[in-house]
Amino acid sequence: MSPNEGADFHRLTLDHLDSLYNYARVLTRKPEDAEDLLHEALARAFRAFRRFDPLLSYKAWMFTIIKNAHIDHQRRRRNGAVEDSGGEWAVEALSAESPLSSIPLAPDDILLRQETIGQVRDAIRRLPPALQEVVELRDIEGFSYQEIARIVDRPLGTVMSRLYRGRNLLRTYLVEPQRAGHRGARGLTDGL
Amino acid sequence: MDCNAAKSRFFAYVDGELAREAEAELEAHLADCPACRRLVDLELAFREAYVERLRPEPAPERVRERVAILVRELADARGRARRSRWAKPLARAAAAALLLTVGIAAGVAIDSWWERRNSLAVFAQAAVDQHQKLVRGLLPPDIQGVSPQGAEEWFRRRLPFNISLPPLRDESLRFLGGRISHLGSVEVAALEYQIDSKHVSLFIIPDESYERLRLKEKPKFKVMNHRGYDLIIWRSHGTGYALVSEIGSRSCLVCHSPEDKLEFVTDAAAHL
Repeated sequence: MSPNEGADFHRLTLDHLDSLYNYARVLTRKPEDAEDLLHEALARAFRAFRRFDPLLSYKAWMFTIIKNAHIDHQRRRRNGAVEDSGGEWAVEALSAESPLSSIPLAPDDILLRQETIGQVRDAIRRLPPALQEVVELRDIEGFSYQEIARIVDRPLGTVMSRLYRGRNLLRTYLVEPQRAGHRGARGLTDGL
Repeated sequence: MDCNAAKSRFFAYVDGELAREAEAELEAHLADCPACRRLVDLELAFREAYVERLRPEPAPERVRERVAILVRELADARGRARRSRWAKPLARAAAAALLLTVGIAAGVAIDSWWERRNSLAVFAQAAVDQHQKLVRGLLPPDIQGVSPQGAEEWFRRRLPFNISLPPLRDESLRFLGGRISHLGSVEVAALEYQIDSKHVSLFIIPDESYERLRLKEKPKFKVMNHRGYDLIIWRSHGTGYALVSEIGSRSCLVCHSPEDKLEFVTDAAAHL
């Protein structure tokens, strides 16, 4: 890596640090683990940076590396099968408990309640991990569906399904915060 | 299109992610269905009121400072490694000193993964993980369509440790390609082969990382099975090698001809 490339890596990393750190937090759910994960991912990225195409998105590239580092960490820790953040089974459990047809799509109640951005953010954090991940990647980071599929290494249809479920569940949290919070604590987040 | 089908597409529609044909179908429905039109308008209002104002929260200043330090250290370590590589033609004593520098540089750069978990089991896990990704095409090759010797030259220009690839000695053996990859955070050369359509990955590991595998004592190779994969790990001329496959000792064809006697492979099987 040339000195210029090193400077580019430094600049790009600090430019996108908020997003990179937030994604590490979404995956690990603990600030201290998020920092470890971020450091490991940056070490990997630095070594691979000469192969990074500057015409592509550095943020999307780094998110993929963070995701892979997280998967590797989970594998090492559990010495067994990989669990996606939240796990497929958790999403299925969510589906069984909250059929899509019973979730109101209309956001008019939320608009009337005049929630704050902070409340919306808190509600996103309470989503099951696999759903929170795609909602964050789309609604906060602005990635396309295809980019999200690449980052989380899942088919496009799975991404769309998770986004649909995540956004609808988010609306139930915002419309009925107490009830949804209770359900979330018992049925939607246990063991995720 | 009925209203349920329309609702299932609302998010993709307001995200601008619907295919042109699906978008036209939905817009035709919206033109005839005031209830669905209203829902889409509300969704757009919700997006404007909240979603478009969501931003990632600022990383704590402490995190920002530590990341800045980490990136500087990585750059410094790389610089030291490069300088040591250029100094190879110097006298042996100087080379030895520079090798130490490479070790120190790599030691700084290699994250705590190796420092905390330098067991063979963890190494085997990392090698199996990489092998799986290579087989599934998740890690595309940097080079392909070249001979092992062509790949050898390619790696030698890019990696600061010795890369030596044997020629193909058996008709059943195919060289698929290679890439610069990572075991944990250690930069390695990853080579993909096929033997009778079965995938075999060969990882070539820098010596200073290999030494952390506790394989310094005899035997300097290890044969094991980890999570259903066969691994052969050895060291030669100051470089570490790891073969991962599902075909046991037959993977040795990557380096040996079928006539070679390889007694150690059958005698030394050790399972993690």
